[in-house]
Amino acid sequence: MLIVDSELCIGCGVCEESCAFGAIEVIDGCAVVGDACTLCGACVENCEVEALQIEGAEKSVQADLDSWRGVWVYCEFRAGTLAPVSLELLGAGRKLADARGVHLSAVLIGAGTGDTAQRLIGHGADIVYQVDDPALAYFTDEAYGAVLIDLIKKHKPEIVLAGATAIGRSFIPGVANSLGAGLTADCTHLDIRLDDGALLQTRPAFGGNIMATIVCLSSRPQMSTVRPKVMQAMEFDAARQGKIVNVTPDPVLLQTKVRVLESVVFEQDDVNIQESDILVAGGRGMDNAKGFELIRELADSIDAAVAASRAVVDAGWIGYPHQVGQTGKTVAPKLYIACGISGAIQHVAGMQSSETIVAINRDENAPIFDVADFGIVGDMYKIIPMLISKIEGHRKS
Amino acid sequence: MKIIVCVKQVPDAKDVRLDPKTNTLAREGVQSIMNPYDQYALEEAVLLKEQLGGEVTVLSMGPPQAVDVLRQAISLGADHGVLVSDRAFAGADTWATSYTLAKAIHKIGDFDLILCGKQAIDGDTAQVGPGLAIQLDIPFVTCIQKVREASESELVLERMMDDGYDVVAVSLPVLLTVVKDLNIPRIPSLKGKMKAKKAEFKILSAEDIGADSACIGLAGSPTQVVSVFPPPPRGERAVLTGTVEEQIEQLVEKIAVYL
Repeated sequence: MLIVDSELCIGCGVCEESCAFGAIEVIDGCAVVGDACTLCGACVENCEVEALQIEGAEKSVQADLDSWRGVWVYCEFRAGTLAPVSLELLGAGRKLADARGVHLSAVLIGAGTGDTAQRLIGHGADIVYQVDDPALAYFTDEAYGAVLIDLIKKHKPEIVLAGATAIGRSFIPGVANSLGAGLTADCTHLDIRLDDGALLQTRPAFGGNIMATIVCLSSRPQMSTVRPKVMQAMEFDAARQGKIVNVTPDPVLLQTKVRVLESVVFEQDDVNIQESDILVAGGRGMDNAKGFELIRELADSIDAAVAASRAVVDAGWIGYPHQVGQTGKTVAPKLYIACGISGAIQHVAGMQSSETIVAINRDENAPIFDVADFGIVGDMYKIIPMLISKIEGHRKS
Repeated sequence: MKIIVCVKQVPDAKDVRLDPKTNTLAREGVQSIMNPYDQYALEEAVLLKEQLGGEVTVLSMGPPQAVDVLRQAISLGADHGVLVSDRAFAGADTWATSYTLAKAIHKIGDFDLILCGKQAIDGDTAQVGPGLAIQLDIPFVTCIQKVREASESELVLERMMDDGYDVVAVSLPVLLTVVKDLNIPRIPSLKGKMKAKKAEFKILSAEDIGADSACIGLAGSPTQVVSVFPPPPRGERAVLTGTVEEQIEQLVEKIAVYL
């Protein structure tokens, strides 16, 4: 419960402004808390006269916190391929493990993983728990979850990281819930608080309009899913030493109620837009589906993937996997080129964390220009061909 | 088929604006809506009911005004609505929320299928659906983009993956989370609106669902928010000058590092 000390409150309204949920209102010179309060504590921190306080039962602390040690990274392996985010997480995990003075372990689950475990060592893992079994050829939440839960219970790591991918965002919540562990989704920054070893997990909320730092003090492991493309992988070092532990899973763990009948991997390799360094996106301002031919031409010339706004996905001009925004994917490439996209808040929520944003739109008042680093007002059908030829010219010079 | 659809009332993003001067959320005139992903879950539930018979119950957790989304759900074809609402739930993270919803579902009774949106647009965690399945001890499949076959006992589904999709078969009961591609939600019929107007909703408190006070709200939440702050400001927008051709030349210089 958020308690307002009416003696101390001066009705300044700072809390009202700092509340992201619209849950505080100053009435007759005193703050009043409404039902929308989520106890996030933003107001408590901002109150200059210390009139606000969160009271209530503290979460009871698990007794054996100190016996949980080590940093783990779930390394995603699907259809013969290691998800690139796995190596990024080993890079991030290495720093956390060094700050804590503990080992960094990778968990590799799948079938036919070959020399992947050795690769993980070369990218920073001290130990690789390799669970390679034909029954794990296809991803299922149940089997992958059961195997990971079993390993976590046996080895008791203090931190478990996974990629915020379709797979990571599916089974990791189940794992955390089973363990009663705290889980923070879609982290973009991780750090260790040195005095108590707490993992400081920072993530965007409200479509990236606010950032929140989250901790888990009462239970272990501390779990996070981390967005692709935000952490830095370490260079591969063939000389790095590590230990590969082969794990034979108990057959009971591999029983699933969900049966995978078929796994379809698109041949076109630009569907996974969250893993691309450059995206060229098209919107309603293209006027028709043919616009994507031009978008794709630009994308091909700069090794980019193709993205889209909701409007053109709904119009059937391109498939849903390409949609960026609130009801599509959240992306953060190094370069995002928005063509004929007006920049509705729902779209911006999905791409405003991009490093550099370029907007091309004939409407100079389009809100996309408010988030763009570089904008050109004009007809994309004239601008894109010129852009392609200038890029070619630049490469030659 | 007995279907429960979990829905959340969220602020409408089109009304949520960032004040560029103070970098805080401007909330004046912010409307509340049914979470967009939940609308696809509800539509699929109603389609399944129309195909196989049965009933659809919508369940929400939130402040008393969240009955608005239940009423909307009735207008769109749901049969019953239940709200779990209690000040004691405040501060619930995804673990405490999934516990609370599971308790409420036990109170509601039998079910064959639970449908949830992939995630809510205010929190974007996608954690409550899978967590709820674990709490109910039933299997779950996330990000359903298509229901290929449905019968009283089994579903054949397409689940969206990053690089394609998987086709899976699962027997009931099961919990599914759904994405946008699944269907096109209907607009309410006149009859639906009339029904919604008259609808009454069961409101359950923490006590009603028999929740353990150590498992709900802030006390039941393993995660805690320690600070909330604005995102790092984007750099000043660079101005490109001259003719369009000159602007493109400058642009290529600026983005050359990525090419």
